[in-house]
Amino acid sequence: MRLERGIISSSQLMFLVAGYVQGSVMVVGYTNMVTKQNTWLVVLSGLAASIPLVLVYVALANKFPGKDLIQINRIVYGPYLSKLVSASYIWFFCSIAGFMLSYVGQIIKNYLMPETPKFIICIVFAFICAWAVRNGIEVLARTSVIFVMIIIFVILITFVLLLKDMELTNFLPFFDLSLKDFIQGTHIMMTLPFCQIMIFLMLIPYVNKGVEAKKSVILGLIIGGGSILADTVRNTAVLGITSTIMGSPSIESVRLIDLAEIITRLEMLVITLLLIAMFIKVTVMYYGTIIGIARLFNLRSYRPLVLPIGSIIVSLSILSFDYLNQNTDFGVKIAPFFTIMFEFSPVITLLVAKIRKLPE
Amino acid sequence: MTVIFLLTITFIAIGLFEVPALVKNKHWRELTVFSVFFVLAFVLALLQASDVKIPSPVRGLEYFFGEILKLSY
Repeated sequence: MRLERGIISSSQLMFLVAGYVQGSVMVVGYTNMVTKQNTWLVVLSGLAASIPLVLVYVALANKFPGKDLIQINRIVYGPYLSKLVSASYIWFFCSIAGFMLSYVGQIIKNYLMPETPKFIICIVFAFICAWAVRNGIEVLARTSVIFVMIIIFVILITFVLLLKDMELTNFLPFFDLSLKDFIQGTHIMMTLPFCQIMIFLMLIPYVNKGVEAKKSVILGLIIGGGSILADTVRNTAVLGITSTIMGSPSIESVRLIDLAEIITRLEMLVITLLLIAMFIKVTVMYYGTIIGIARLFNLRSYRPLVLPIGSIIVSLSILSFDYLNQNTDFGVKIAPFFTIMFEFSPVITLLVAKIRKLPE
Repeated sequence: MTVIFLLTITFIAIGLFEVPALVKNKHWRELTVFSVFFVLAFVLALLQASDVKIPSPVRGLEYFFGEILKLSY
């Protein structure tokens, strides 16, 4: 039985994946704390390390055509164990949506509206996401095409305008990185922006041609990875080693744009980028949570659940982090292990399915 | 007090928005799941509005991964 009547094309899936990965453009700024001037290196290695995992996700989706993650779990693990596995996935999606919403609230509160309470920003943002989720996947897919274009345009224009402030000596010394820091940086990059596209296992059933999904997912991943790479290179080239102590290197570097004192204060562009990219990211996670719950309880429609779950996500975002530093600390130390647990488990699902010779 | 009042109004509005269609179509299963999450969301929001300290789930994750599993950088 189909929960969602909408169908998206494979090119829309590509833009959705790209927009989803670009949602982390600002979040990964804190990797600078670990890898200093070599962050561009770990972006590339993280992208390379995540492609095999993404191929596993696509193989899993192709093995069970027209089924989403919860249904696959049910087939592979049986009726009782699958409930536990699926519930933990749903908790994962819900908590990531909450943490990302919290990040939006923190950044806006820190840089734009210091007097506004954080929960107002979170509620307004979550309301737009709830509206998008209620309207279904097609609306989100169509908007993502425009949004990805805007994000790429913003990254390119800020890159060009900052060319005169860049100093290539900021990248020196090359490869001055201990093995532990390299592994930690790669781990953060692999889990936070790239492998989180595991959520698309919930959306792939609604793509009209399931076979072509592989190409569009990989292409979308590369577009998103390219945007993150451009952003990281710009921040390091402009700010150098100071980027390691900044809450958001993207905003701080774009703040330096000054073209004959006419084109200044362009950090609004970066905030726009944050809002629209986070909109895609939070909405996809939110949608995955709702579809997952509706599937777990065998419901006929997911629409009634949108507002209560949205309220839970807002509560979660308010009570999880009080300051931006807590968010950063969690993201650097614990979050890579927390997310890799869920991102690696589709591999186990695929192995179990191979051993049990499913589907018959 | 104002916050709690506004919160109650909002949740009543959500209930009035969703429940009549569910009852009219006799979607009882959906209504049950909706009510469970609705009550959960309302209690969470009410506790936060009345300044009760709810432990953050991040603390729990940090304890679980850092202290029990020893997986932390």
